Amino acid sequence: KLSIKELEKKYGTNIITGLSSTQAAELLAHNGPNALTPPKETPEIIKFLKQMVGGFSLLLWIGAVLCCIAYGIQYSMNTSASLDNVYLGCVLALVVILTGIFAYYQEAKSTNIMATFNKMIPQQALVIRDSEKKKIPAEQLVVGDIVEIRGGDRIPADVRLLSVQGCKVDNSSLTGESEPQPRSSEFTHDSPLETKNIGFYSTTCLEGTATGMVINTGDRTIIGQIASLASGVGNEKTPIAIEIQHFVHIVAGVAVSIGILFFIIAVSLKYEVLDSIIFLIGIIVANVPEGLLATVTVTLSLTAKRMAKKNCLVKNLEAVETLGSTSIICSDKTGTLTQNRMTVAHLWFDNQIFIADTSEDHSIFDQSSGTWASLSKIITLCNRAEFRPGQESVPIMKRVVVGDASETALLKFSEVILGDVMEIRKRNHKVAEIPFNSTNKFQLSIHKTDDPNDKRFLMVMKGAPERILEKCSTIMVNGQEQPLDKNTAEAFHTAYMELGGLGERVLGFCHLYLPADKFPETYTFDVDTMNFPTSNLCFVGLLSMIDPPRSTVPDAVTKCRSAGIKVIMVTGDHPITAKAIAKSVGIISANSETVEDIAKRLHIAVEQVNKDAKAAVVTGMELKDMSPEQLDELLTNYSEIVFARTSPQQKLIIVEGCQRQNAVVAVTGDGVNDSPALKKADIGIAMGIAGSDAAKNAADMILLDDNFASIVTGVEEGRLIFDNLKKTIAYTLTKNIAELCPFLIYIIAGLPLPIGTITILFIDLGTDIVPSIALAYEKAESDIMNRKPRHKKKDRLVNHQLAIYSYLHIGLMQAVGAFVVYFTVYAQEGFKPSFLINIRVEWENSNVNDLEDSYGQQWTEYQRKYLEWTGYTAFFVGIMVQQIADLIIRKTRRNSIFQQGLFRSPLPIGRDLALSLDAFRLIVLPSASRPQYWFVAVPFAILIWVYDEVRKLFIRLYPGSWWDKNMYY
Amino acid sequence: MTKKEKKSFNQSLAEWKLFIYNPTTGEFLGRTAKSWGLILLFYLVFYGFLAALFSFTMWAMLQTLNDEVPKYRDQIPSPGLMVFPKPLTALDYSFTVSDPESYQGYIEDLRKFLKPYDLEEQKNLTACPDRALFEQKGPVYSACQFPLALLQACSGVDDPEFGYSRGNPCVLVKMNRIIGLKPQGEPRIECISKSENTAALSTYPPNGVIDLKYFPYYGKKLHVSYLQPLVAVQVSFNATSSTVNEVTVECKIDGSPNLKNQDDRDKFLGRVVFKVTARA
Repeated sequence: KLSIKELEKKYGTNIITGLSSTQAAELLAHNGPNALTPPKETPEIIKFLKQMVGGFSLLLWIGAVLCCIAYGIQYSMNTSASLDNVYLGCVLALVVILTGIFAYYQEAKSTNIMATFNKMIPQQALVIRDSEKKKIPAEQLVVGDIVEIRGGDRIPADVRLLSVQGCKVDNSSLTGESEPQPRSSEFTHDSPLETKNIGFYSTTCLEGTATGMVINTGDRTIIGQIASLASGVGNEKTPIAIEIQHFVHIVAGVAVSIGILFFIIAVSLKYEVLDSIIFLIGIIVANVPEGLLATVTVTLSLTAKRMAKKNCLVKNLEAVETLGSTSIICSDKTGTLTQNRMTVAHLWFDNQIFIADTSEDHSIFDQSSGTWASLSKIITLCNRAEFRPGQESVPIMKRVVVGDASETALLKFSEVILGDVMEIRKRNHKVAEIPFNSTNKFQLSIHKTDDPNDKRFLMVMKGAPERILEKCSTIMVNGQEQPLDKNTAEAFHTAYMELGGLGERVLGFCHLYLPADKFPETYTFDVDTMNFPTSNLCFVGLLSMIDPPRSTVPDAVTKCRSAGIKVIMVTGDHPITAKAIAKSVGIISANSETVEDIAKRLHIAVEQVNKDAKAAVVTGMELKDMSPEQLDELLTNYSEIVFARTSPQQKLIIVEGCQRQNAVVAVTGDGVNDSPALKKADIGIAMGIAGSDAAKNAADMILLDDNFASIVTGVEEGRLIFDNLKKTIAYTLTKNIAELCPFLIYIIAGLPLPIGTITILFIDLGTDIVPSIALAYEKAESDIMNRKPRHKKKDRLVNHQLAIYSYLHIGLMQAVGAFVVYFTVYAQEGFKPSFLINIRVEWENSNVNDLEDSYGQQWTEYQRKYLEWTGYTAFFVGIMVQQIADLIIRKTRRNSIFQQGLFRSPLPIGRDLALSLDAFRLIVLPSASRPQYWFVAVPFAILIWVYDEVRKLFIRLYPGSWWDKNMYY
Repeated sequence: MTKKEKKSFNQSLAEWKLFIYNPTTGEFLGRTAKSWGLILLFYLVFYGFLAALFSFTMWAMLQTLNDEVPKYRDQIPSPGLMVFPKPLTALDYSFTVSDPESYQGYIEDLRKFLKPYDLEEQKNLTACPDRALFEQKGPVYSACQFPLALLQACSGVDDPEFGYSRGNPCVLVKMNRIIGLKPQGEPRIECISKSENTAALSTYPPNGVIDLKYFPYYGKKLHVSYLQPLVAVQVSFNATSSTVNEVTVECKIDGSPNLKNQDDRDKFLGRVVFKVTARA
C-alpha cells in the first residue's frame, strides 16, 4: 500500500544498495532466522517417562513398591528375611522399564522415518546487500532485504514486490488454488492475501522475474501464521488409544478390585498383613497382561510396515487403526482423486466434438481435415512451454516441462500427435509474442511459416473462447474459411457449454495469415504498440483440458461406499469442475442428482425441490452463510457431498462438522493451508509427492503415491488390525484367570502356592508374546470391506462379551485344567489333593522340616519348596498346553477354524508349539519336564477347542439370537 | 460450566437408575428377567459341567495312584534331620531352670511323642536282628521295636523332666521318614557343640547310632506301627554358676555314604542346628 519511498523509510533500507551487512546482522539477531519454528517437540525424556507411567506401568510400579514394603516389614521383624520380595520388586520394575524402553524405541523408530522427510534442501536467496548481489541461505534473510526472484524459485520470505517482469506465482500451498497468479508491483486489494504486490513465503514463482523487499520473515509470515494455527489445534486422541485406555481401565479395575477384595478377605481370614500384601502383589501381577501393550505396539508397527509397502507411510502407529474406523473421508481433488496433470480431453472443430485420449490410441479422431492441420499448428506454435533438455528417453507424458499446466498439456498433446514440436517451432520461426495475461485473456505469437513459397506471416492466438470468438469474423470448416454466422456461433456456444459442463477448461484457437503486401518479410512487429491486426481473425477450434481422475479411484470410491465410508470432496476448484470429477470417480454416483439437477430436469425453481436429492454441491460462499446446525443437517441429509471453492478455514469447519456427527474423519491435504484441518481430523493424510512439509508435519499418515486408492487399502489394513487386536487381547486375557485363580484358591483353601509371580511373568513376557503377535498376521474372516465402520462408542475393542468369554468361560476352563496338572504332580509326589487343603501355614513354615505327606514321608522345608517349584512348572505347563488351544480358537471369531484353515497364518501353530517347548526347556526347573505332565491338560485343551467350535457354530446358525448377542465378541 | 456438570451428574444418575431397573423394557441391570434366567441357567449348566469334569479327571488321576507308595520319590532322595520338641520360634530351646512353667511345654511334647515307644505299646512289634536292613515282602509288614531304654537318661523313665529341671535338657534328633530308603554303612548322628567350652554333649544311644533294622520304611498304610529310630542329645553345661548358659548344637548324619549331610541350599538335609538357652 505504501509507496517505495515510504517503504524504504519504514524498513530502513535502500532499494538500490540494500541493507548493509551490519544492519542485517543486527536485525537477524533481533528477529531470529527466517525459518518456521518447528512444532514444539516433547522432550525425549518426557516421552520416555510417559511410557514409564502409561498403561499398566503404574499398577506394576505399585506392585514393585509393595514388594519393597513387604521386604521392609519382613526385615524389621527378622533381619535375615529372604530377599525374594526384593527380587520380585526388581523384576517388576525391570519389566516396566523394559516395556517402556521398547515402546519408546518403537515410537522413536517411526518418528525417525519422519525425520528423513523433514530434511529440506537449504534454500538460497539472491539478495542485495552493501550494494552487492549475494547468494545467502534464505534463513538469514531479514526484514528490509531486497531480494531478486526468478522463475522456478521458491519465494524466500513474505516479499513486497517492487518491480516485476511477467511474474506469476503458484499460491497453491497457501490458498489451494492451483491456478498461477500474476504478480505486479501495484497495490490492488486491501487484503494482503488478495493484493498482487505481495509474494508469499514458500510459494513458488513460476515464471518471470521480480525484485522485492522482505517485509516479514519466519513465523511472522502468512504461512508461519497458518502453521502456528495448525499447532494450536489440539491433537485428538486416536480411537485405538481410547480403546486401549478403555481396556487398561477394565483390566486395572478388575485387578485392583479383586486385589483389594482378597486383601480384605485375607485380613479377615486372620492372615498377616504382610502376607496379604504379598497376595495383593500376586493378584496384580496375575491380572495385568504385562506383555500385551508391547505386543500391541509390535502388531501396530508390523501393520505400519505392511502399509508402508502399500504406499501408506504411518507416522503415528496408532493411526493405523484409526484409518480402519474411519467413517468419513474428506478428500482433496487435485492430485488425490485426479492425476494432477492437465490433459487434453476434447477437441471441437468442423462442428464436431472429438475425444482426445492421449494416454491410449491417439488416432481415434479424424486428422484428415484441413481444419485439424491449422489447429495443430496453432496448438504447437502458440505455446511457450518447453521440455527440459535431456529427456529423450523418457516417455512423453512423464517428461518435465517448463511452463504452466495448460501449456504443458498442450505441448505434450502436440508432441504425442505431431512428433517433434521443437523442430516444428524452429521451422516456423517466432518473430513476436504477447504472453497470456489476465487482462487480455489471450496469448498471441507471430511466426514465419515453414512453407518457403509462402512469405506471409502467420499470427496464431489462443485464449478464453468467448474472447477469441469476439476477435474472429470467419470460421474454418473442413479447411475452408467461412463467414462466422449466427448458426456457427450457436454451434460454438453449444460446444463450449457442453465442454464446460464436463468440468473442463476450454481454450479457443484462431489464426490469421497476415497479408504479405502489408507485412513484408522485413516488417518489425512491436508487441507494445500492436502494429498488427488482432481482429477479424479466423476461428479454428476449441480444445478442452481436464485433470483426469486416477484410474484406480472409481474402484476405491465404490469400495469405500460398500464399506460404509462416506467420501466427501473438498476442493478449491470451480463447482462445475468439482462436480464433473466427483461424477466421474463416483463420489456422486451415476444415478443420483443434486437439488439443482432435479430443478433443471423438472424445470422448477431450486426452492421447490423436495429434499430427496442424495447429492449436493456446496460452494464456499454458501458454506460461509451456514450455521453449524445447517451444516450438520447438510452432512446428515446428503450422502454424496462435494464442497467447491472452499477456503482452508472452511475445510476445518467441515471436519469439525463431520466430527460432530460422531464420525471418525480422515482428511487428505497437501498444502500448508490444509494443515489445521489435517491436525483436527482424526487422521490427517498428507500427500507424499505434492505435500508441503507443513502438511506432512501435521498429518498422521503420508500417502507416498498421492493416490486415493491407497487410503482404501489402508482402511482395509486398519480394520483387519482392529479385529486381530481383539483376538490378541482375547488370547492374552484368557490366561489371566488361570494365573489369578491360584492366588485366590491359595488364600481361601490354603494350598501350597500353585504358581509363582515370576512364572506368571515368564508366561506373560515369554511364551505368550510370539503367539499373540502371530495373531496379528491372521487373515480377515470375511470381507471386512463390506461392513459398516465401527461405531466409536459402541463397538469397543474390549467389549463385555470378550471379557466375559475370556475370563469366565475359557479362562476358567484353563484354570481347572491347570489345577488338574498341579494336583497330579503333588499327588504323584506324595501329597494327595485332600491332604493339601489348609496345609499352607505349615508348608511355608521354615522351622517345620519334617512335614508329613499322605504316605508318612517327611519333607524338609527346602524339599517342599522344590516341590512347590515343580508345581509352578506343572501349572505353567497346564496353562501352556491350553494356551495352544486358546491360540487355535482365537484365530477366528465367527468362522470355524476349519473354514479359516489351521495353518494359514504365516506363523503356524507348529512353530509356536516348538517355541513354547523351547521356552519350557529354558525354565529353571528341568526336573519337572516329565513328559506325561504335558498330556494331563490335553483333555481340557480339546474341550476348549470343541466348546469354542460349538460357540461359533451356534453364532453362525442363529445370528441375532440370544447366544449370538452374548457369545460373539 | 457448573450447571452443565450438575446436569450431567443428574443425567448419569438417571442413567444408572434406568440401568438398575428399566420399567419400559423390564430390564434389571441391563437384562430382562428372561435374559437373566437364561444367563443363570447357562452358567449353572456350564459350571456344573466344568465341576463334574474336574471331579472326574481328579478321580481318574487318583485311580492311577498307589495307596501305599507314592509314584515318585525323586524329590526326597535323602532325608532331612529334625529335632523334637519343636520350640515356638526358630530352633531355640530357651527356658528358665527355676521356672517349671517355661519348660512344661517341652516335657509334655516329649512325653506325648514318646508314648508309642512305651514298652507296653511295643509289645506287638518284632524284635529285629541288629545291624541289618529289615527288608520285608509283605503283605503284612511288621515294625521293629525301639526300646526306650536306648535313650538312657533322656528316656523319661528315670527323669520324667528330661533333664530340663536340672538345666541339662534333652533334645530328640530324628531322621525324616522316606519310603524305601536303605542307608548304607553305619549311619549315626554326630552332634557337636559350636562352643565346646560351655557345654558337653552326650548322645544316646551311645555314639548316636541309628540301627539299620529300622529301614526301609514301607509307608503309613503298610507299615502301621512303625517306630522311627531316635537319637537323644543331652546338653550339660559346664559352668552351672552363670545365670545364662547358651550353646549352639549342630547334629549331622554321619557314616553313611548315601545320606547327604551337606547341601548349600537345604540347611536341614542330613543336619540340624539348634540352640539351647538355659537361664538359672
